[in-house]
Amino acid sequence: MIKIIFLFVAFFFLSSLSLAQTDWIKWDKAEESYQIKSEYGRNYKWNRTSISSTVLSGAQSLYYFFISDLDGKNCPFHPSCSVFFIESSMRTNVFKAALMFADRFVRDTNLFKRYPHYPKHASGSLYDPVENYLLNQALVKYFPREEIVE
Amino acid sequence: MSRIKLLQFFLFLVATGNIYAQRTAADDLFSVNNRIAFAEYLFCAEDYLRAVVEFREVLKSSANDTARFRIGYALNKMNRYREAEDNLKGLFFSSQLSEEARLEFYKSNYFGKDFIDYGDLLEYNNYLPEKYHSVLLKTYHNKLLLQSRSLPDSSTFFSVYNSDEKEELLKFYMMKKRPGYKNETTAALLSAVLPGAGKVYSNETGDGITSFLFTGILTFLAVNNFQNDHKIRGWIFTGLAAYFYAGNIYGSAAAAQNFNAGIKFNFEKEFILFLDGKNHFFPEYNFLCK
Repeated sequence: MIKIIFLFVAFFFLSSLSLAQTDWIKWDKAEESYQIKSEYGRNYKWNRTSISSTVLSGAQSLYYFFISDLDGKNCPFHPSCSVFFIESSMRTNVFKAALMFADRFVRDTNLFKRYPHYPKHASGSLYDPVENYLLNQALVKYFPREEIVE
Repeated sequence: MSRIKLLQFFLFLVATGNIYAQRTAADDLFSVNNRIAFAEYLFCAEDYLRAVVEFREVLKSSANDTARFRIGYALNKMNRYREAEDNLKGLFFSSQLSEEARLEFYKSNYFGKDFIDYGDLLEYNNYLPEKYHSVLLKTYHNKLLLQSRSLPDSSTFFSVYNSDEKEELLKFYMMKKRPGYKNETTAALLSAVLPGAGKVYSNETGDGITSFLFTGILTFLAVNNFQNDHKIRGWIFTGLAAYFYAGNIYGSAAAAQNFNAGIKFNFEKEFILFLDGKNHFFPEYNFLCK
């Protein structure tokens, strides 16, 4: 009986010793990242369904990696100019998308009061979708300027 | 012994009295009249969902045309148009409310269906309520203002309205007749002649000036480089100038379309607000909530 009690006490004492912090082995601080997680994650995958989609998605990923990610979120519009070009080339063709991009680029550089002409997007940018520039009146969506588009 | 008998008699009275009281309370609470009164209270308080439930319970035990009509009316108010139509069809014939039921049926089609279907319904006189024929003609003309077809001339259009209504609707008729749309081809041609002019025509003055400056500066750089015998640079700037010139023409046409979309949106919003204020010219029923 005494042996059993002695063994139990010894086991308890030894296990608490092994878990207790000693002076020469300190617990390290947890590795915590304080970076604010972005809601709008980048998709760097290459779309290999066709040659054109491979080229476009590859160029998009390279542009994101070398320019956008370093430059930050500077485009006042949503979707951003690069995404606008990719979406318009997928909806139409590269030539029409190039014209749409040229127009978007000029509107981006507009210094004279562009804010009253576009509704706001939930991300804080101005909402300027591809549908409004496909030259198809049925697809054009008008939003009141005071509305916040989701 | 007499005390025991007295006590038994007293207990008997209490027990039967309680049972009798409970049965009377239960009957009164869920009687048809009580249910109708409660349902009418909910209906007049515009709690249409619960009113429909109560009226449906009433109809399980007794046929009641007013309850059935109120169900159809409430379903219309809740935008449940198909269900409203099904409920109202039972009142079309041999009912005192057949004219009102047919009007509500047309109302569900007015709000629930598109213009062509509503027009067809009126044209083929399906279940037409003769008493409210003039009301339905007004609603058809309301729909004319909200769709893309060309409008009839003003004498035909206003023939269904009285003079007060005509005065109020004249503004919307003129807005529809002459909306002030911008032509995409004109915008594109203007931008082809002078970069940015098409955008200024489409009410995008800032974009127009930016386009003009962009194309102008690139053209100047191209000419300047050619004049200074820098042919490669000259061709690069020529290419860029041509690219942004073409983009400016495209953007002007798109800007005209966006302008037109804004005109259409604001017109429809203002007109629907006006119609909501007039209950779309549908009459109010004085027998529903007294």
